[in-house]
Amino acid sequence: MKRSLPATLLLGLSGLFLLLLIGMPFWWVVTGSFKLPQEIIARVPTMVPHSFTLQHFAKLLSGSDYPVYMINSLLVAGISTAITLVLSVPAAYAFFRLAFPGREALYRIILLAYAFPSIVVLIPLFGMFARIGLIDTLAALVIINVTFALPFSIWMLRSFFASVPKEIEEAALMDGAPPTVILRRIMIPLIAPGIASVGIFAFISAWTEYVFASVLILSDAKRTVPVGFSGIIGQYQIDWGLLLSGASLAVLPVVILFALVGRWFVSGLTEGAVK
Amino acid sequence: MKKRILGLLAGASMLMPLSAFAAPVEITLWHMEQPPHRVARIQEIIDAFNTAHPDIVVKQEPQNWGEVYAKAPAALSAGAGPDMLFAIPDFTPILKNIGALTSVADFVAELDKKHDFVDSTVQSYSYDGGVWAVPLYNMAMSLWYRKSVLDGAGLKVPETWADWKAAAEKLSVDGTYGIGVPANKQLYTDQTIYSVMVNGGATEIYNEDGTLRFNNPQTVAALDYYAQLQKLSPPDSTSWTWGEAEACFVSKSCGMIMQFSVISSYDTQGGGDPADLGVAPIPHADGEKDHNTIAYANAVMLLSKDEAKRKASEEFIRYLLEPETYGKFLNMEPGLFMPVTADGAKAESFWGDPMATKYKAQIEQIIANSQNGRLFGFTSGRTFPSIAAISAQNVIAETLQSIVVGGKSAADAVAGGQDRMVEVSK
Repeated sequence: MKRSLPATLLLGLSGLFLLLLIGMPFWWVVTGSFKLPQEIIARVPTMVPHSFTLQHFAKLLSGSDYPVYMINSLLVAGISTAITLVLSVPAAYAFFRLAFPGREALYRIILLAYAFPSIVVLIPLFGMFARIGLIDTLAALVIINVTFALPFSIWMLRSFFASVPKEIEEAALMDGAPPTVILRRIMIPLIAPGIASVGIFAFISAWTEYVFASVLILSDAKRTVPVGFSGIIGQYQIDWGLLLSGASLAVLPVVILFALVGRWFVSGLTEGAVK
Repeated sequence: MKKRILGLLAGASMLMPLSAFAAPVEITLWHMEQPPHRVARIQEIIDAFNTAHPDIVVKQEPQNWGEVYAKAPAALSAGAGPDMLFAIPDFTPILKNIGALTSVADFVAELDKKHDFVDSTVQSYSYDGGVWAVPLYNMAMSLWYRKSVLDGAGLKVPETWADWKAAAEKLSVDGTYGIGVPANKQLYTDQTIYSVMVNGGATEIYNEDGTLRFNNPQTVAALDYYAQLQKLSPPDSTSWTWGEAEACFVSKSCGMIMQFSVISSYDTQGGGDPADLGVAPIPHADGEKDHNTIAYANAVMLLSKDEAKRKASEEFIRYLLEPETYGKFLNMEPGLFMPVTADGAKAESFWGDPMATKYKAQIEQIIANSQNGRLFGFTSGRTFPSIAAISAQNVIAETLQSIVVGGKSAADAVAGGQDRMVEVSK
């Protein structure tokens, strides 16, 4: 069916409006990080920079602990993502394929962990972590991030497993493949887009986590970007250049991750799997 | 006998290295001065102290005001808290109530004898028969303006509320706002409203018996007046914190603002002409005579129960308040942090800083304004534990919001504000 010209025009304009709505703040933040301080706070905001400077990035990278925060965040988010994937893939497959008592009840209960607001468990967790010496360690953040990302990841991946045609698994079973081989050699390659989605979800959750990182970490050298960055921009006197340059750099890892993993989304791995 | 002597000598030789090289006392300082240049300045002072005191090692762990209210009690109860922790008056009752503090009255008296504290700074921490923190630096709200802007409009520096509103109206031309006052449910708004309240006779929010007296005609008049000023402010002022107000002034979008200091931003982004930067006391109500303001005496609490660590903490604070060191400490943010001691206010280390020299007139005015500084809930010895909740939940700012956003009358809003204070105090 061919769309009429007014409908196409309306669709295009709506798309452009949404693009501007979402894109303009990013544009303003990124271009602002290259402006001179006077231009950043100018009475009439400039969408296209009239000045160019790298002073904010230089100050951020050489005059603050921002690079340390970045490394900590990359470590925490990377390790959290890896552990989440290693645990959630077999767990989701077990919930999808294996028959064991209480499977359905357990499947629903695990999501309860995701339903709790983090602030509710913050103080009890602090006490527990203090007793086992995990306060002020990146390991504490990894444990928290995995704990909160795992339930939703299992739910997501079980749906991906369910979307794989049953005939593929049956063919493998007839050839005598045990469940672990089916999972490793057949199912994981087929649900790669799902694993990529869960990986991105786990990475972004860990990358942006603030509440636990702000309380469980005590020393500056262990801070992650969200917490460390909120401190260096100041309270009574905000350094707007530092704020914009830090925000621009903070989105870089996520953008790079999307650029790398994004290809997995379009690969359409199940295409042609069943002939 | 010979064996015994040899044994003693052997024992002594084993003990000697232990006593000769006893491990230094390690103490941790938590503060909320997180911007990198402030952390660097505090580290310079710590390094100098550690070098001069080989038996003590101080280390700093900067924290964030946003989290420290929850983090400090949790850390202390888990045994992971600091030995020294910076504070503002409404933070101290929280730690006092969980038994984390012991009075430092004797130590403050010793320091007062030597350096002469500004009385109001000690009063903010004096209640329930003790002094709960050692004042370190002061911040007082002032009215900031550009002399050229007032002169250009044929205006004098406003003295009274009537002058102030007239000036704000006259300066509201050509897309600029005569004044920028916040109306966010946030601490900055609490501070600016109280700065107006204390200039309209609404200083006390408690009666002597601890009951609330927020709902009174002076408070209603102050909030009503503030709401009128807010109408002359930028429309986004309902979400402002300190930084947005400062940017509004420095970019010449706002003719006047109330702020602790704009010196640093004005110098780097606003032209930096000290002759054009004006600072004045907050105008008072037409029936009042004196100018008052809100002042935050920042202080340090001593938390360690260990005698050696406590003594080491005291030694560090003594060092910090010595005039040779104190100015360096205050100038971690030039023009923002004011001295709380008489000898600190004259210290060469304070006035010798290039920024302090350049903006000497403005800094002298801020110090003068701070002499009449008050803080809601910490006046006339009327300090009650509920002030921590009232302050933490920004009830004063919430009351203003119900006028400027909710459309209530000032009288209804203030009555509702008092009810809310009672509610959060339970």
